[in-house]
Amino acid sequence: MRNLPFLVGVLLLLSIPLSVHADDLTVSPSDATLRGKTARQRLIVTLTKDGKASDRTRDARFESQTPNVVAVSADGIVTPTGDGSGTIIAKVDGIETRATFKVIDGKRDLPATFEKDVQPILARMGCNAGACHGKQRGQNGFQLSLLGFDHDFDYAAISQEARGRRVFPASPANSLLLLKPIGEMPHGGGRRLYKSDPHYSVLLRWITAGMPRTPQEEPVLERITVEPTERLLLPSPPWRGAGGEGLTPGAEQQLVITAHYSDKTSADVTHLTMFQSNESVIASVNADGRVKAGPLPGEAAIMARFMEKFAVCNIVIPLPKSVPAEVYAKLPRKNFIDELVYAKLQRLGITPSEPCGDATFHRRAYLDVIGRLPTPEETKAFLADKSADKRAKLIDALLDRPEYPDHWANKWADLMRPNPYHVGIKAVFTLDAFLRDSFRKNKPYDQFVKEIVTAQGSTWQNGAVVMFRDRREPAELTTMVSQLFLGVRLECAKCHHHPFEVYSQDDFYSFAAHFGRIGRKGTGISAPISGSEEVIFTAPTGVVKHPTSGKIMPAKPLFPLSASPGTAVPGLADEDPRRDLAAWLTSEHNPYFAKVAVNRIWADLMGRGLVEPIDDMRATNPPSNGPLLDALADHFRKVGYDQKKLLRTIMTSHAYGLSSIPTKQNVGDLRNYSRHYRQRLRGEVLLDTMSDITGVPEAFSAAPPRTRAMELWTVRTQSVFLDSFGRPDPNQDPPCERMSETSVVQALHLMNSPKLHAKVTSADGRAAALAASKKTTPEIVDDLYLLVYCRYPTDTERGNAVCRFEGVPRRQATEDLLWALMNTPEFVFKD
Amino acid sequence: MTIQKNCLGVSRRDCLKLGLTALGGTGFVEMLRLQAQGSGTSAAPARSCILIWMDGGPTHYETFDPKPDAPAEIRGDFQPIQTRTTGVYYSQHMQRLAGISDKTAIVRSIRHDQGNHGAGNHYMMTGAPPRIPVGCGAFVSFHPSLGSVTAHERGAPHGLPAYFSMPSMSRSGGPNFLGARYAPFIVDDNPNSADFRVRDVALPRGLSEGRFDSRREIRSEVDRMQRIADQEAGDPVNALDEHYQQGYNLIRSREAQAAFDIHREPNRVREQYGRNPFGQRALLARRLVEAGVPFITLYDGGWDHHTNVFNSLTQRLPSWDATVATLIEDLDQRGMLASTMVIALGEFGRTPQVNRDAGRDHWSNSMSVLFAGAGTPGNQAIGATDVRGYSPVGRTNSPENFASTVYLKLGIDPGKILYTPQGRPTHLVSETEPIRELMG
Repeated sequence: MRNLPFLVGVLLLLSIPLSVHADDLTVSPSDATLRGKTARQRLIVTLTKDGKASDRTRDARFESQTPNVVAVSADGIVTPTGDGSGTIIAKVDGIETRATFKVIDGKRDLPATFEKDVQPILARMGCNAGACHGKQRGQNGFQLSLLGFDHDFDYAAISQEARGRRVFPASPANSLLLLKPIGEMPHGGGRRLYKSDPHYSVLLRWITAGMPRTPQEEPVLERITVEPTERLLLPSPPWRGAGGEGLTPGAEQQLVITAHYSDKTSADVTHLTMFQSNESVIASVNADGRVKAGPLPGEAAIMARFMEKFAVCNIVIPLPKSVPAEVYAKLPRKNFIDELVYAKLQRLGITPSEPCGDATFHRRAYLDVIGRLPTPEETKAFLADKSADKRAKLIDALLDRPEYPDHWANKWADLMRPNPYHVGIKAVFTLDAFLRDSFRKNKPYDQFVKEIVTAQGSTWQNGAVVMFRDRREPAELTTMVSQLFLGVRLECAKCHHHPFEVYSQDDFYSFAAHFGRIGRKGTGISAPISGSEEVIFTAPTGVVKHPTSGKIMPAKPLFPLSASPGTAVPGLADEDPRRDLAAWLTSEHNPYFAKVAVNRIWADLMGRGLVEPIDDMRATNPPSNGPLLDALADHFRKVGYDQKKLLRTIMTSHAYGLSSIPTKQNVGDLRNYSRHYRQRLRGEVLLDTMSDITGVPEAFSAAPPRTRAMELWTVRTQSVFLDSFGRPDPNQDPPCERMSETSVVQALHLMNSPKLHAKVTSADGRAAALAASKKTTPEIVDDLYLLVYCRYPTDTERGNAVCRFEGVPRRQATEDLLWALMNTPEFVFKD
Repeated sequence: MTIQKNCLGVSRRDCLKLGLTALGGTGFVEMLRLQAQGSGTSAAPARSCILIWMDGGPTHYETFDPKPDAPAEIRGDFQPIQTRTTGVYYSQHMQRLAGISDKTAIVRSIRHDQGNHGAGNHYMMTGAPPRIPVGCGAFVSFHPSLGSVTAHERGAPHGLPAYFSMPSMSRSGGPNFLGARYAPFIVDDNPNSADFRVRDVALPRGLSEGRFDSRREIRSEVDRMQRIADQEAGDPVNALDEHYQQGYNLIRSREAQAAFDIHREPNRVREQYGRNPFGQRALLARRLVEAGVPFITLYDGGWDHHTNVFNSLTQRLPSWDATVATLIEDLDQRGMLASTMVIALGEFGRTPQVNRDAGRDHWSNSMSVLFAGAGTPGNQAIGATDVRGYSPVGRTNSPENFASTVYLKLGIDPGKILYTPQGRPTHLVSETEPIRELMG
């Protein structure tokens, strides 16, 4: 029933023809029908040379062969002048091509009706935008539905409210709806429209005709298409400036958007479409749908929206200098990841960085798998190991370490940990236990999700139920479950049609209906303590109603699965609808389930998600490497959703082991993994690491001695350090995201925090012990470098550091060097 | 049923900004114009704001809105006193403030509908009601706080943090989607103690400046991680370098260090502010304002007087009154009041009926808010509550009006649209009208 955007997917069909054709000029569309006097059709002229297509619309010369049927403007917009058949000729570089037109009612104004003609204009002019009349409570008393998804509401607002002054059929030109946007009456939004504008005449005709609604039996908009759906563009030379002066051949592309209606007719709606680029630095798009490449190579998705429909055009801007294919053929390939990463790099003409050194790899792997640094002994052993497969062996060994579950449970706690003031402290504790236990057992991910979604039992015993204590309304559960396990953000659809998605309020509440029968027994929320126990179970009855219509919504998945067309089989009346939901979520045919999971893990390891933000999966936010995301998801399914196996696969790829140091050529690549992307260590990891290095454990309130930050189960455990380094705070709703950026406060804290100072200078600490040991100064220097940087110092570094010991008490020199090392980015970042 | 057309609440991750183009603050410009016409002062009078947060919800009856004509069970034990302003009375312990009422405005017209601490705090601290019902104990944030927004929009010189909160953060005083960079810098140590220092901006005790300098030298010597200079590479290491540089500047800046060094104040001044933690924090706040910090929250807990309100306040109010009055007078004498806004409020007022424990409970229908400085016309009480103090009579003002007032005075457009990291547009305040009488 809906055009699911993911079915459109990302089309990556840039096949370069094997044979070289003669120059080929085409105009698109090559034939079209224009209905009514105000119809129009934008043309695109494409010249294909040596198999490479480029948009030449702006330097094409257009001419109408039949001026009494169709006229054409200099920029290629065809309008009717009469009825019948007509021909337009376009010429570029002496080559000619033509398009034919059929014009029906070319001299007659077709009736303008509200839904079909007026609403798109209001959307295009920005009237119903979120910053204007589309915002909650409207603007200066005039409120429209956001982006015009609620026709009844908008029609009433325009035709009935304000004592009918907004539209004035007796004297249409004196309607506020026209006087305000053309600036004849004060308008907070300024001048949006001119009398000469075709939109003006449509609105005028509509008011004159008595503001008709679009009849129910009129054809409905089924979909929109964009042409082209993909294009290779050349980077525009930066010296041309942003002004767009002059033509940049090959760096621009005009888009044409066609609306397709249920009666099989179609119309050009480019002039009524809103455009947006997801990476405007790479390729920007103007209001008329003209895409312009930036100076950098890369990719961008240009989203076009006309009413509630979307289409996406993928733009690729390769590096100007081509790289011989054998460069890629020679790159080492460990598994499918390398194949797909290189394929993408090759398309862009980017080459990968060198592999990183052993010490860097060692440190990186420790941080990624178990969230701690290797000890000097571990580093020495790894560096001394001469075996060829030592990296793979290291990964296996790390996956078996006891720190693994704590590190990974911590990441899920970021996503799921509720506010203890809301659910009660004990429920937070049981959730924490559930998460740690799941990772300790390496529970298959689908099972983990099923356990959470269908959980029943006591909040004091089964941590999986805690989400249902925290989120008590089906709507709150809907947004959480869809975002966590599908990467689909439904929040918008709670209150209105999702502006950038296909989901409506109906979809939202049908999905929410899965949570309609959650029963709760025991003591509910009584903040701030909420200390009591509650039992979550499946109640025999319970419904979810649509908030405006009051209709009881049947439980329905968000979209049908490709393998089982139509909606999923509804559950038996006495069964828990959550079980249907869990089955649908975790189905191998659900395209989102495995993708969002692998994308999270990939982003953690590689420094950047294939989709960013990592849990925002939609057609209008395509992955940087679609085939790779698909393959990773597929792999995750094939290994039975075993996270350790997935980690091993990613980490044994050649791509994972690349250096972070760019080449001149790949320096601008931030999305295609041609090099490793540096990340600041997480707050917990940094704090634990500093305790390990200094040999002075952190003392947390209400936690046993030697508790690691990674083992904390609630953010109520006070820690200025963790607050400074941005742990997610579940007191924020929704919980704020973990901050990975650096700040002055962090720098000051590392430099001057009395607690860290005490660790460095403690009489029981590492520095004191080293100073008191029999080790020589160079040995102490080596130890400190191994502890903090997990590598040996170079000879120069060792020499410099040894000099710093001269004339300074040995313990003080040791402390100062330790402090200095821990205050550098080589310590603070995963490289 | 009203259809909710748009979600003004803040969500960390939602929509893109297609079609949600900002119009720019037409209303803001108009506001500033009106304001400039009205008073002839500059558009943004406040360089800084000191917000005294009376956590728990201070009683309006026993502070700035006595009701001598109400029945005894409402009136309470305290007597009204005449202020310098004709017709305006405070409760009996607000003696010093009563004496400088020509410099302050008392707002009695603010009311809202969030009668528990979590929600009331959120509403007053951010200008936005909590998006979902929250309980009394809730520490929630759906929207950036006044202080975090000010830090975001204004910044601070000398590498100083732009938003301080002492000794702790108020529940909803956080940055929400603006991110940790705009969280308050908490100074939790007691400035009344002899060895008080501001954490992290001072060298740790026992570390000499000389040794710090030599550590700094060693640091630059061992710091050999290769930087990726090209801007386009987006190397996060460069940002850390910048932050270290700013940190060094702060430690080395005489102005910044002086701001924190409360020990430089003459004893006389320290006595005037009150030799107690709250008094000394107020004094430290003044020093921070002098150094250019734009927003300081003085978190002052313990105003939740469900029991024993008269006894507790008899103890507490005289010194509180003296501290706040001293702060305002001191700013005035130093010529700083014109550019410094001082506000004292809590999440709500308290119930008219004195309860059986001689306390008063939560009451968001009426409250009193003290304003001074930054072009606030003094000598006035804005709005009035009825004879029993139940609710404002005549025009009421919302927390949105309150927040808009604060932003406008700080030169921040309350209608500004900020984008969440995911591109969701969010209005700073949904209703941008300020409380006109405070604007001058």
